[in-house]
Amino acid sequence: MESISELVRRLRTLGRSTDMERRMGDEVRFHLEQQTEKNIRAGMAPDEARRAALLRFGGVESVKESVRDEYRHALVEDFWRDLRYGTRVLTRAPGFALVSILTLAMGIGAATAVFSLVEGVLLRPLPFPEPDRIVRLFQLDATGRRMNVSEPNFDDWKARTHGFVSMAETALSASVPVSGGREPIVTSGAAVSREFFDVMGVTPAVGRGFLPEEQRVGAAPVAIISHRFWTARLGGAPLEGQPLRINDELHQVVGVMPEGFAYPTGADFWTPREVAPPQRSRTAHNFQVVARLADDVPLATANGELSAVSRAMKGEHGDATWMADAAAVPLQEQLTANARPTLVALFGAAVLLLVIACLNVSNLQLARIATRRRELALRMAIGAGRGRILRQMLAEAALLSAAATVVGAGLAAAGVRAIVAAQPGSVPRLDSVGVNGTVLAFACGVAALTALALGLATVLRTSQHELRASLAGGPRTMTGDRGRERVRQGLVVAQVAITIVLLTGASLLARSFVRLLGVDPGYRTSDAVVLDLVSPFSRDAAARSRVASFQQELLARLAVLPGVESVGLVNDFPLGGGRYTNGQFLEMTRVDEFKSYEDVGRIGDQAKARAGQAGYRVASAGYFAAMGIPLLRGRLFDDGDGPDAPHVAVISESLAKAKWPDQDPLGRFVQFGNMDGTLRGIRIVGVVADVRELTPEAVPGPLLYLDYRQRPSTQVSVVLASSTPAAVAQTARQAVQQLDPSMPIRIRSIDDALELTLSGRRFSLLLVALFGAAALTLATLGIYGLVSYLVTERTREIGVRMALGAERGDIIRLVAGQGVVLAAAGVVAGLGASLGLTRLVQGLLFGVTATDPVAFAGVAIVTLVVVLAACCGPALRAVRVSPVRALVSE
Amino acid sequence: MGTARDKGDVLQGTLDMLVLKALQLEPMHGWGITERLEAWSGSVLVLGQGTLYPALYRLERQGLIESEWRTTANNRRARYYALTTAGRRHFTEELAQWRRMSRAINLVLDASLA
Repeated sequence: MESISELVRRLRTLGRSTDMERRMGDEVRFHLEQQTEKNIRAGMAPDEARRAALLRFGGVESVKESVRDEYRHALVEDFWRDLRYGTRVLTRAPGFALVSILTLAMGIGAATAVFSLVEGVLLRPLPFPEPDRIVRLFQLDATGRRMNVSEPNFDDWKARTHGFVSMAETALSASVPVSGGREPIVTSGAAVSREFFDVMGVTPAVGRGFLPEEQRVGAAPVAIISHRFWTARLGGAPLEGQPLRINDELHQVVGVMPEGFAYPTGADFWTPREVAPPQRSRTAHNFQVVARLADDVPLATANGELSAVSRAMKGEHGDATWMADAAAVPLQEQLTANARPTLVALFGAAVLLLVIACLNVSNLQLARIATRRRELALRMAIGAGRGRILRQMLAEAALLSAAATVVGAGLAAAGVRAIVAAQPGSVPRLDSVGVNGTVLAFACGVAALTALALGLATVLRTSQHELRASLAGGPRTMTGDRGRERVRQGLVVAQVAITIVLLTGASLLARSFVRLLGVDPGYRTSDAVVLDLVSPFSRDAAARSRVASFQQELLARLAVLPGVESVGLVNDFPLGGGRYTNGQFLEMTRVDEFKSYEDVGRIGDQAKARAGQAGYRVASAGYFAAMGIPLLRGRLFDDGDGPDAPHVAVISESLAKAKWPDQDPLGRFVQFGNMDGTLRGIRIVGVVADVRELTPEAVPGPLLYLDYRQRPSTQVSVVLASSTPAAVAQTARQAVQQLDPSMPIRIRSIDDALELTLSGRRFSLLLVALFGAAALTLATLGIYGLVSYLVTERTREIGVRMALGAERGDIIRLVAGQGVVLAAAGVVAGLGASLGLTRLVQGLLFGVTATDPVAFAGVAIVTLVVVLAACCGPALRAVRVSPVRALVSE
Repeated sequence: MGTARDKGDVLQGTLDMLVLKALQLEPMHGWGITERLEAWSGSVLVLGQGTLYPALYRLERQGLIESEWRTTANNRRARYYALTTAGRRHFTEELAQWRRMSRAINLVLDASLA
């Protein structure tokens, strides 16, 4: 304990000059007072005495400055001397230096690589002015779930709240065919309301924003485009006379946003929301709302007001708002919410790996101290104080960690590039991630901490007493060795414990992954090709039915291609590429109950009882066969369900259970005008099995499938089931091009689509497993090193025991036993820590609990087996010790 | 910084030695050292008292002296300096060196020109 407080004191005076300043001030004051008093005793008047004292002293400031010079000079001089000496020491032990540097580089590299992800994705402010003032506003349903906003609700918020200086709604269309410039492409664009660019605080870099006369119903279509689209598609050409055909409508491009502006994420163009008529349904949640907080209004205040206004609205409009409450969430938090748990878990894992690397190097240092005792003792004897030795150790540690940081930063840069390349779009903002200044500063900070920890650990174990004793040249002092041995044992236990934590995390993720692979998503996941086709969106009924006719013709042609077993289409393919819209439908008493929204309004209080929630899907009958989704009851669409026939729907089993428990849904009528604006009644004719959309871990949602000929969708995915997908992909592409050469096509295999949904999980699993394996390697090396050292230390004892007739088995147990005891202690501590820590990754798990006994037991067994194997080498060497040689070796 | 130090270096060795000498008997504070040097030199050696302090810091850093806060006879807080073992040894060596040098210089200066 004494040595710790000594160290702390030394450290405090080492780098800080404020102590020196105070000391100097006190000393000079005392000196002047003494001289003044002496002068007064000699008969001077007080004022004169003081003046004379100052005169005798010389300029106080210049004296202080000379003292400071001495101080600074000393620091620099010492620092360089320590570094030079440290370099010599390390080059004399190149093996130690290399192993230490590589071990630390691994830890620093891992931490830096993951930190660069954390920095780029979570920490770096969004590229907008005062980004922390921008918030997303959500409606909350009764369960607190965040939902999109309906336009009347948005209008009320805007009129009745005062905490926001601007507020705008956006509606992103993810797949829009755009032609103009080069070949037609499918990209994303957003309709944005009047104050959108005020909220974001960004104006076009080229051209202008929207004019008021462009922001009203029936105005000539205009668009602002992204810098990326402008340079890649229009070659950066002047905007005049370059209209874009967006969704079959010519738009005059009036402006280009600055480079890097892409909100909503992925948007390549923006159009005025106001050119389309206002939406009057409070239950049509079609908009995302962003707002900028007013100056001096804290988020909590704005949130409170928004919440109060929303609850008042619920009071006025009842359940028709489908809104229990509302919330404002910082935009950055909202954008990164999904990536956060994974990144935080990865960062934790990387930090643990770094700690293990540090423990390992400390262990090496301690082993080496034994061989350096004479040198250190000599230096102390010739007058080097504790502080000098400490500084020397710190300098050596600093050299090691500086070298490790250089190597580690290189590893991190390569690692980040690999991660960015391997991570297919499931993490936002990843394109801007890299090893930049902030990240390097982090790496240097980590390196400095590492150096400090290493240096301190070393000095703390090198007691003055011990060094004096070893200078005397006597046999190794048992007390010092015992103490150091205990510390080394502690380090090994800590390493094993942290390794267990990492491996437990990795194995929980692995078991989740296996569980996930075993989930039946409810549809085929191999032997199929998917064609994503986007026709121009149109509100015009005739245009939409032309799209349906095209699709019908295409399905007919594809069905007869060789190798195609079945073919069908759907608007939202379960494995990505759709919009997955979800809304409220109303059950009707008869097919023609509602002719207008006024009729809908008339049912009043009945609305709640009649309402249901479902995903809006449009499909062909062949889709269910092609995807292997079985029909459970009733029928699928058939030839009789043409555009002019009564509209029909097939629902998923979970919708049947949720809306009509213990009742027969077949033959009932619903209207789904919220989704497609059509109030016409839909008769339910069949029930199909559930599917898990987007990822196998999703809970199967209630779905309502409509016939594509009756409710055409311009954006569809065509599924072709085939045992020869590669060949079918080729012929299918040709078939589409024959029918419409201007149709942009994307073709993917269903295996790739599934893989994409799993890739984020596979990636974090891989990284954590990698960290875990590295940790296990380091911990094993640590135990191996310690046991080897013990064998060397105890060669004599082993010799004596064998001479006295000990069996080989006894010796092996003696030696390996120590390693195993340490490992067991580490395993127990690690399992204990894991019990607490794995809860933090609960959100990343699937199908296993955070305390899954199989994962815990498996990790404990694997670790013990590996450690036992590591102890065997030294133990076998021990039993080969010749008793005679051992006895004469000392 | 360079030139300032160069100028000080001329005096440095001598001043350092005088300080070590002043501390030989007992630990003292800075003002006490200047008083003692002045008294011993019969008031011939009247240096700017302030120049003492850089020397004290330098000697302490070299491990020749050490310092701590203490209370003076009339109950004032002052920084007291004391010789370390290394300082004592250093002073003995320096003194011997000085004696040899000054004897040699005196011999040269006193040599009769006859």
